[in-house]
Amino acid sequence: MNNDNHTNHATPVLQVDSLNVYYGSFRAVNNVSFEVRPGEIFGLLGPNGAGKTSTLSAVEGLLKPQSGNIHVAGYSIREQPLYARANMGVQLQATSFQPELTITEIIQLYAGIYGVDLSKEQVASILANIKLQDAANKKYGQLSGGQQQRISLVIATIHDPQLVLLDEPTTGLDPQSRRQLWVRIEAMRDKGHGILLTTHSMEEAEAVCDRIAIIDHGRIIATDTPQSLIDSNRERPEVIQASRKGKITLEDVFIGLTGTEVRS
Amino acid sequence: MTTTIPSAASVFAKLLRADLTTLWRNRRASLLVVLVPTVILISWKGLVPRFGGPFVLSNCVTVGLTAIGLMGYSNTLARDRDKGIFQRLRVAPAPKWTIMTSRLTVQLLMILITTAVLFIVGYKFDGITLTPMGYIGGLLISIVCGAVYLSLGQVIVGLVKNVETVNVVTRLVYFIFIMVGMFGELGMLGDQMKSAVHWSPYGTVKHIVSAAVDPATWNKDSTMALLVTLGYTLVFTTLGVKWFRWNTR
Repeated sequence: MNNDNHTNHATPVLQVDSLNVYYGSFRAVNNVSFEVRPGEIFGLLGPNGAGKTSTLSAVEGLLKPQSGNIHVAGYSIREQPLYARANMGVQLQATSFQPELTITEIIQLYAGIYGVDLSKEQVASILANIKLQDAANKKYGQLSGGQQQRISLVIATIHDPQLVLLDEPTTGLDPQSRRQLWVRIEAMRDKGHGILLTTHSMEEAEAVCDRIAIIDHGRIIATDTPQSLIDSNRERPEVIQASRKGKITLEDVFIGLTGTEVRS
Repeated sequence: MTTTIPSAASVFAKLLRADLTTLWRNRRASLLVVLVPTVILISWKGLVPRFGGPFVLSNCVTVGLTAIGLMGYSNTLARDRDKGIFQRLRVAPAPKWTIMTSRLTVQLLMILITTAVLFIVGYKFDGITLTPMGYIGGLLISIVCGAVYLSLGQVIVGLVKNVETVNVVTRLVYFIFIMVGMFGELGMLGDQMKSAVHWSPYGTVKHIVSAAVDPATWNKDSTMALLVTLGYTLVFTTLGVKWFRWNTR
C-alpha cells in the first residue's frame, strides 16, 4: 500500500551522501544520494547490476566506499560502525543461520549480539506472534521459504532498530506469504521504523513503498512516490512504448527509464 | 536518543556459546577427527619399545593437530562463509575479531581434548607414561603447534572460494602431510626427504611435541624447531588474514 500519510520530514534514519563505489576501474555506484525517513518505506529499484546491492552493502558496512558519507540514526558507518549497526536491522538476500542451532537458539544468539537478552519463554512468545510456535526446536533448514523469511524478519527487528534493510525480501515466496510479509513490513513502518527495501517486483514497490528511487548504471535517475513517478513520466514516448495494456504502470515507467535490454 | 551497544566480551560470550553448541551437535565429525590418530596410536604399539613413547605419541598428536586445523576448522569456515553466516554476523554490532576468535577458541578446545585423549589412550593401550611436566608441556605445546595448522587452514580458505574444492584440497594436503611426514621421517623416502620433512610444518611440530612430552630431551634443535613453527604460524596467519574474504559472492 502506498501511503503518503506515513511519510514525514523528521530527521532521516538513513542519510546517504555522494556515495561512490568502485570495483577496480568499474564505477558500480556513481554519486548516489538519498535519505530514508522514520515511518517510511523507501524502495530502491534497478535492473541487475545497476548498483542496488553495492549501495546496500555500503550501507550495511560490508564494503568500503571510495567516497561519500553514510549515516544511520546520525552515526557514521565509517567512523562509528558498531553504533550505526546497532541502529540497523538487516535481512540479507542470501543468508542463512547456523544449521546446527535451533530457531530458539538462533533468536537468542542474535538478540544477545544486539544486547537483548531473551528467555526461552520470551522467544516462544515471539514465535507465537508470527505463528511459528512449533518451530522453536526446529533447525532453520527445516523451515519453508516463507517461514524462514518470517524468522529472518523477526531477527532483523529484534532490537527495535530505527532502520530496517530488506534485500529482496519476497523473492521465492508464494502470493500468500508475500502478502503476509507486506502486512508485516507495513506494520513496522507504522511503528516508526524507516525501511529501505530493494525489489525486482514493481507490484511490490507500488504496493508497499512510500517513495522509490530508480537506480541504473550506478546513478539514481528518479526519486519520488510511485504515483508521482507514473504521473510525471506517463507522456514519455519510451514509457508509452513500454506499456502493454494501455494503462501506465510503475513497471512501464521503470522499463521506459532503464531500457528494455536484458542485463546480465 | 543515545545508543548503547553490548560489550565485546558479551558478544564474544554469545558467539562462543553458539560455536560450542555447534561443536557438540557435530560431535560425530569431531569424533572422527580424534579417531584417526587414536587408531594410529593403538596400531603403533609395537613401535614404542623401538622408537620410544614420546616418538609415537608426538606423531599421533601431530596427526590430530593436522586433522583439526586442515579439515575441521577450514571446512566449517568455508561452509559458513558460503551460507552467508559470516555476512549476517558482520551486519550486527559484533566486532570482527569476536567472530573469528570464538571459532578459534572452539578449535583450541578441540586440540586440548584430542591431545588429552591421545595421552589417555597412549597410557591405557601402549603403556606410554610421561612425567607430570611432560603432560602439561604436551598440552601447552599442542596449542602452539595447533596454531600452525589452523593458520594453514585459514590460508586454504583464503585461496579457495568453493566449499567442495576446500574440502578436497584440505584432504589432499592432510594426506600428503601425514604420508610424507610419517614415512619421510622414518627415512623411507630418502635422506633428502628426511631432512626436508624435519623442517616442514609436520616435522617441526612433531619434534617439539616429542620434546615437550619428554622435557629432559629439549635441546637447541627443539628451540630452533619451536622458532620455525612460530615462523610458519606468523607467515600463514599473515597470508590467511590477507587473503580471507568474508563472502564468496
